[in-house]
Amino acid sequence: MYQTNQLADATINKSESAVDVQPDLNQYLMAVASHQDKAAFAKLFAFFAPKIKAFGLKQFRQEALAMDLVQETMSLVWRKAQLYSPEKGKASTWVFTIMRNYSFDMLRKIQHNKEDNLSDDLWPLYEEAEPEPDYEDDHLMREQLIQGLEALPPKQKEVVEAIYLKEMTHQELAEHLGVPLGTIKSRLRLGLEKLKEKMELHND
Amino acid sequence: MIKHHPESTMIHAFVAGELPASLSIAVSAHLELCPHCKAIADKATKAMADEFSGNEALVELAEPTPAQPVDEFATMLAAITEQPTDAPALKSAAVESSNQMALGEKTYTLPRALRQFSQTKWSGLGNIQRARLGLDEGDVHASLLQIDADSAIPHHTHKGYELTLLLDGCFEDESGRYEKGDFIILNGEHHHSPYTAEGCLCYTVSNAPLHFTSGVSKLLNPIGRFLY
Ligand SMILES: [Zn+2]
Repeated sequence: MYQTNQLADATINKSESAVDVQPDLNQYLMAVASHQDKAAFAKLFAFFAPKIKAFGLKQFRQEALAMDLVQETMSLVWRKAQLYSPEKGKASTWVFTIMRNYSFDMLRKIQHNKEDNLSDDLWPLYEEAEPEPDYEDDHLMREQLIQGLEALPPKQKEVVEAIYLKEMTHQELAEHLGVPLGTIKSRLRLGLEKLKEKMELHND
Repeated sequence: MIKHHPESTMIHAFVAGELPASLSIAVSAHLELCPHCKAIADKATKAMADEFSGNEALVELAEPTPAQPVDEFATMLAAITEQPTDAPALKSAAVESSNQMALGEKTYTLPRALRQFSQTKWSGLGNIQRARLGLDEGDVHASLLQIDADSAIPHHTHKGYELTLLLDGCFEDESGRYEKGDFIILNGEHHHSPYTAEGCLCYTVSNAPLHFTSGVSKLLNPIGRFLY
């Protein structure tokens, strides 16, 4: 069901002229998650900060409060990036959620003078991950995966990333790279085998 | 099975963060119990996030554009990345606080949206126990109500609106039977006299006292204010 939704959304949102930036955003966020990559965070910041500010101005009608919202939202993105995983949705959805939550709490503070910070209970950010004795392992595994990915030969890396992180289909990727479908499949297989080897090596 | 759901406009307003806290709690708690509405909310969230993030190509952002108020953003960016990131362990601590609420002989598992109210003070009148949430939203009052088994609330109407989210047990009135998760909105046009055989726990939000309509039960209008 998750898959179908994603597909449906993807087709709706593809406007012809615009490049879909979502996969890049996901990757930047993953880079912040795995090794606090400041350059990747700067890209996320450049992309989101003006949008958050615009949202804040609409919400609070005050420059200072709008900037507070940018500051707090982006701080949370920086500090909690490792809680993000692409299986739970796009980076932009994650950032939107954080912003919406913080903005709700701010409004309650302004309008009702309440600091009960209800938002994280109303819109749990991390709900799917809740029963999580394996979390540490997962986290470790993801880091190893990312390291493993970096170590692949560029052509294999490109294919693995496109299929697994950007969620392109084999066909789309073949067209994009201008190579036969079979080449995609063999690069993917080789890349995955190497990754698997690396992971097994780590886990022994 | 849940038969009564919030309208989709309400779910959208909830996702946008536009509902007051009292109603947001009700919708959030319903979504936790209702996969159908949860799917609607998830879809709305994605759509709003897409609208928020637009479709601009990221390529242009590789170099900061000097026309932007770069300075204030640049200072902010630098300050943010100076902060240490949270250790993964913090996450588990954050989700831990208890969802359990003991009341009389019963222990309820509260929806996540209500868990910070599990220690709220209760007061009783007859076969009804009430805990007011204290959200400070003016005329709008939000409460948890526990109604004993085999109890009825006399025939009444609502001057404003009354939202009831059934959290445990079941009750029935003239229009049917309600079960855990049902999200029921009544307004001044509705008259009803709910009855519960097994007892129930509800979350209610209303903006005016209940108004008792028939003969002797007018004496009960203090209960109406108590329930509000
Ligand atoms: Zn529902």
